[in-house]
Amino acid sequence: MTASSVSRVMAIGSQTWELTRRSVVSEKRQFLSVLPGLIFPLLLAAVYTKQFGRVLDMPGFPEVDSFLDFILPACIVQAVTFGATAAGSELALDIENGFLERLLVSPVARAPILFGRLAGAAVVASVKATVILAVFLIFGVEVAGGPAAMFVLVVVAALLVLFIGAMAQVMAFRTGSQEAVGATFPLIFVSIFMSSAFFPTNLMSGWFKVVAENNPLSWVINPVRRLVINEWSSADALQALGLPTALAMMTISAAVIALNRRLAIL
Amino acid sequence: MTAVIEATGLIRRFGEIIAVDGVDLSVDKGEIFGFLGPNGAGKSTVVRMLTTLLHPTSGSARVGGCDVMTQAGDIRKMIGVALQDAAIDPLMTGSELIRLQAVLHGIPRSVIRTRGPELLERVGLTGAIDRRVGTYSGGMRRRLDLALSLVHEPQILFLDEPTTGLDPTSRQALWQEVRRLNAELGTTVFLTTQYLEEADQLAGRVAIIDHGKLVREGTPTALKGTVGAPTLRVEVDLESVALARTVMRGFGGERPSREGRVAIGLDEGAARVADVVRALDTAGVTVIHLELDAPSLDDVFADATGRRLEGSGDEQ
Amino acid sequence: MSTTAVAIGVGHSWSVSLAICIRGLQRLRARPVILIPTVVMPIFFVISFTGAFSSLTKIEGYGTSNIFNWMAPYAALQGAVFAGVGGAMSAADDIENGFFDRLLLTPGSRLPILIGTTGYSGVRSIIPTTCVLGVAALGGLELPGGVIGLVSLYVATAGLSVVFCLIGLTIAYRLRSLRSMMIVQVIGFSSMFLSVGQVPIDFLEGWLHDAARLNPLTNVLRLARQGFVGEMSWDLTWPGLVAIALMALFTGASAFRALMKLAP
Repeated sequence: MTASSVSRVMAIGSQTWELTRRSVVSEKRQFLSVLPGLIFPLLLAAVYTKQFGRVLDMPGFPEVDSFLDFILPACIVQAVTFGATAAGSELALDIENGFLERLLVSPVARAPILFGRLAGAAVVASVKATVILAVFLIFGVEVAGGPAAMFVLVVVAALLVLFIGAMAQVMAFRTGSQEAVGATFPLIFVSIFMSSAFFPTNLMSGWFKVVAENNPLSWVINPVRRLVINEWSSADALQALGLPTALAMMTISAAVIALNRRLAIL
Repeated sequence: MTAVIEATGLIRRFGEIIAVDGVDLSVDKGEIFGFLGPNGAGKSTVVRMLTTLLHPTSGSARVGGCDVMTQAGDIRKMIGVALQDAAIDPLMTGSELIRLQAVLHGIPRSVIRTRGPELLERVGLTGAIDRRVGTYSGGMRRRLDLALSLVHEPQILFLDEPTTGLDPTSRQALWQEVRRLNAELGTTVFLTTQYLEEADQLAGRVAIIDHGKLVREGTPTALKGTVGAPTLRVEVDLESVALARTVMRGFGGERPSREGRVAIGLDEGAARVADVVRALDTAGVTVIHLELDAPSLDDVFADATGRRLEGSGDEQ
Repeated sequence: MSTTAVAIGVGHSWSVSLAICIRGLQRLRARPVILIPTVVMPIFFVISFTGAFSSLTKIEGYGTSNIFNWMAPYAALQGAVFAGVGGAMSAADDIENGFFDRLLLTPGSRLPILIGTTGYSGVRSIIPTTCVLGVAALGGLELPGGVIGLVSLYVATAGLSVVFCLIGLTIAYRLRSLRSMMIVQVIGFSSMFLSVGQVPIDFLEGWLHDAARLNPLTNVLRLARQGFVGEMSWDLTWPGLVAIALMALFTGASAFRALMKLAP
């Protein structure tokens, strides 16, 4: 590596850090807007735990002490997806009001424009996931897979946010409209319900069962849940981390390509 | 003359900000009263208080003989209001809005069936009544808003910046309509505007508001009279210039002018023009051309506030 | 001066209320997309709740063997909450863009402004309710309670829509902003959750059981649902009607206070 390319990488690094810090800080400022993303999933988890007590005895329902154990992954996924599209809608806002053009003609390296926001979102997601995990632990949930499983849980949350955030950024480049990017949130909300997040798919029936079983979100949630309620298993950890990593890499690449395309027409 | 709008010591605070700071007003029946001031001067706040939409912090006001605080309901029956930004629902059609407005003011269906089309014709919207207001031009919206404010045949009409943002043609058309209403029905018109020309063209009397306080009040001519004499320029034969100068100096101080012309500041105003012409005639000077440059309301505004009114003249 | 003799009184109040209600419907006709959130969300609820939780019916004591019978009235009531807040939203929109001044310049009582807007919300709730019923019918919804059961669902949804419209109006009149309506949406959504939306009250444990027993929405849910899970009974009807009436009275008073404060 030449000296110039090293300093280039360092510049990208420090600019990414700067923009990450800014997006985390802005999220901190909008603390009130983050709060619903924590409260609503926790309320849902609390209500479901108290209303689905009898469900635990159903044949086919995984062996758990409380519905709370079962719903932990769903609660975290739901919490972090609130605001996960922000990395895209903020970008769309910058496109709408011309700030992006200004950023692009400035000597700032290009990649941090995307990575800064995504990294910021991932940091916030990790914090949210940790908070929710802590609340669940306080209320007596025992994570069977131990600290390693908790770590996987938090990393999966961050990866999912990277995946969704980069997808929203691609949308932002495609549409240039904040509204269009915002409209993707309900889709994510719906896809959580149409997965194994709140109920085991083996107890579903008909077309809904087919949809839920083939929802990629179920493929992530199932191994995570096994880590929480069964025991540590490297295979489950690998599955839990692998899919969101692959998905995130895919959408991040797509976002970079979209950015480059944007630069080409500039 | 009886005053139909009277305000005494009207004050309105919004938190720390004093939007209206002790305004006294009196508008006579049948007048067109122009309320002139820059953006944020407090014009709309005064209108909202007079139209019962906002309580004054202190002071009192009577409209049509009724108190704005205690007899708001009676006032609402008497007044028509076209508020700034034409608060018109873009999703409704012109005729739907007319019908709604009629119901709001308790106009019987049978009455509005004939009056509605009349009003729309009056403001030149007959062809557009069944179209959504969203498709109207800015001028059409204002005219519709005017028609709506006339549905219950109010004695007093409040127009809050009726022509802001309109093109000159639409502005002229609206002025025409306001003049006609005033002349034909004797409707008292309280008009706010940030356009000097509008106040000058329409209003019989003008009040200028700045930073919540009235700074001038009077007829446009009188107000202009206060800022100094109008300039009278007379073009005469080259050989008569000296004589003309001598004659005209008797009517005011000489002002700089081109060769072949004499200009003076006409001390006692435009009324003396005829005297000047007569005196010149008597002295045997033939007048080729004559112009009188009156001071504008902008000069009045500048005199009162030390600033020129933004957007004076045309806003292009 | 030719001032038309203006009839102000009860008759006038009534026609103003009606005109404001009709205006809302005219707007809907002009731009039906306004309805999408109100319709899509409850349809999504009925699909995902019946899909995800279909096996609940196998648990003893669930109250019905058909999950659609249980979930459709719940989804319809959630839709009614949306419809009610939507009605308040249109009022907040009016306040923001100035149309509200036109209504305030009306002589006579302020009450018709309130009644017209809530009436519009009540009528509006018919749309999501009907859509939910349509989707649920495709899934095999049954109606053992007959036409009266259907009527009580519509009464319950319209009533709840009115209540949430009034809550929304209270906040809209006080905060004068469209964004504040999000708060009401969350209140509505959450309070529906603390009830018997997805499972019968016997299933609920601990604090949730207490919360649902105290939650007036539980009575409204029972009123709405009874015709779908069994025979009609007066014991399930009157508490729902009383709950709606009391909530409407209470929220109506607070909305009216807020309106009078906004526009004396």
